[in-house]
Amino acid sequence: MSGRRPLRGHRLRRTVQAGLPVVLLILLALALLGLPLYHDEGVSVFDIFNSFQSWAAVALLALGIGTTVIAGEFDLAAVGTFALSAMLAVTLGGSSPILGLLAALGAGLIVGLIQGLIVTRFDINSVPVTVGTYIALLGLTNVISGGDSVAYDNYSVGLWLDQTIAGFFSPRSLVTIAVVLLAAAVFTWTRFGRDVRALGGDRRAARTAGVRVDRNLVGVFVVSGLCASLGGALQAFSLATATPDPGTGPLIVAVTAVLLGGVSLAGGQGGAIGIALGALVLQLLEQLFTILATPAYVANLVLGGLLVVVVAIDAPDLRRRLIVVRARVADRGGGGAGD
Amino acid sequence: MSRSLPTQRIALRALQVLGVIAVIVLLVGMFTTKGFFSAHNARAIVSSTGFVGIVAVGMTLIMISGAFVSLSLGTTAAVTAIFFVYTLKFGVGAAIVLTILLGALIGAVQGVMIGGWGANPIILTIAAGTIQTGVTVAITEGQSVSPPSGAYSFLNATPIGLPVSVYVLVGTVIVTELIMRRTTFGRRVYMVGESRAAGRAAGLPLGAIGAGVFALACAVTAIAGILLGAYNQSASLLLDTTLTYDAIGATLVGGAAIAGGRGAVWRTLLGAIAISAITDLLLLRGYSTGVQILVKGLLVLAVVLAVHLQTRERRT
Repeated sequence: MSGRRPLRGHRLRRTVQAGLPVVLLILLALALLGLPLYHDEGVSVFDIFNSFQSWAAVALLALGIGTTVIAGEFDLAAVGTFALSAMLAVTLGGSSPILGLLAALGAGLIVGLIQGLIVTRFDINSVPVTVGTYIALLGLTNVISGGDSVAYDNYSVGLWLDQTIAGFFSPRSLVTIAVVLLAAAVFTWTRFGRDVRALGGDRRAARTAGVRVDRNLVGVFVVSGLCASLGGALQAFSLATATPDPGTGPLIVAVTAVLLGGVSLAGGQGGAIGIALGALVLQLLEQLFTILATPAYVANLVLGGLLVVVVAIDAPDLRRRLIVVRARVADRGGGGAGD
Repeated sequence: MSRSLPTQRIALRALQVLGVIAVIVLLVGMFTTKGFFSAHNARAIVSSTGFVGIVAVGMTLIMISGAFVSLSLGTTAAVTAIFFVYTLKFGVGAAIVLTILLGALIGAVQGVMIGGWGANPIILTIAAGTIQTGVTVAITEGQSVSPPSGAYSFLNATPIGLPVSVYVLVGTVIVTELIMRRTTFGRRVYMVGESRAAGRAAGLPLGAIGAGVFALACAVTAIAGILLGAYNQSASLLLDTTLTYDAIGATLVGGAAIAGGRGAVWRTLLGAIAISAITDLLLLRGYSTGVQILVKGLLVLAVVLAVHLQTRERRT
């Protein structure tokens, strides 16, 4: 993107970003475990179970969007895919939830393929393309649902998905954990994973180095589509309902999770575990606020504030500016800080 | 890229053919739909363009400056609507001025970070929206705000059968178009949008330009907020519905390039009217809201592709 930066500053930012989810998670764990010290109620196993439940709803969406960001793209349509898949799962999965799930995943696959092919064949910025598909997908979801929320009569599916396993988990959160681990393995050990990071880091260099840019990019959008559709279908089964327009809420939470998870908006950096931890941080934070009975707007302010901080850390020209300021201060100090 | 130029050329031709067919279908649809070409319906189309159109003007400025899109202009519209209704107790004139100032302030803060620091606009505007929502809920406790008197009712007048918002939209388009074409600031916005690196090399104050663009965009959005508050005769965050994406859609259909440097406010106006007209036609022919949204999305996608391929072909 912009010119080369001093390696030192670059590495520092990388370390800060990669360490961010872990540090935040530790802080939150301390805040939750230490609850009895400053609040009459401690944290219960059920609270953690709840956090994992809401985590499952966000983590897959964040994982999909995060993968596109790592590859240097942005899938703004993921929430549209999420909504469409939820609707398909509910409307087509009446007799057999497997059929609904397959329909949802099929939709995610097709949406991903179409978006990936458009972006690569026409060599076009993914933001306006995915804005267009987002609107179209919401329309399609509306057409299928007739404009209203659709209830899912097969309650037993949701009950089965949300039963507690080992206190903290449910089949839904375990499926999500499995997908996250699978994605992490793919990112770490496969050529696709390495190529995706290379695409986000420096696309021209990646092309020169023999990375098959187009094929991998289509793959990235397919991954995003599949993640969003799995998340949407599981969510719909669990809530036994699907809404034609989930609003911008899921996008906001997912994007925050991606950034708190150590993914740089410049691309090329981050991984599945980080994104999943970023999402977990958000859900634990929400649980903490729920226990403390903090008004809902505080969560909004904290979320927004966190996002601003993270996006500022990521901003390329803020560092440039700080370096200039630091140099000026050093000059004025008269010390031998020149290098 | 060297690759796939033939593919892209074929795709462009296909899109052009598709465009011609779409126009024919639309024209046939318009002429065979009873009541489409009535004065009443024309008024309905133009009237429904008002709010979205004004916000789209702000969105266009942001897109021209190279900052992609703002994902929180809809939130800003709702927040400023609430602020307007709340400040009405100081008098209508004061309320209007204060609300526009608030919009400019909200925008300027975002613009400094986006223009000056190079913060990612999509994420930063999402964050700004979340914070605006948070602060508003903290102050209003999530309640809807009602005006103390009906002193603002002139904003809901319909001179010559058209709502005030339409006149304001036209005025906004003219003023912003003049700013963008006739002032140094406007030319600099186009230049920075075309190439940030070139703007930096030329020593332009990127932070100030970013602040100016976003301040102007959010001030314009605040004008939409004022009208929105007056129209609904009360205001809450529920006013933040689909304004943001509708404004992005109108801007893209107007042919502005997401990468910045190209686009014009008056073309966005045409984009907004086109979307309104097509939505209206679908409505008259009995299609559901879902179909209307679907067509809008496909239209955005098609125009984005066509504009992209056309500029590419012209360059080669």
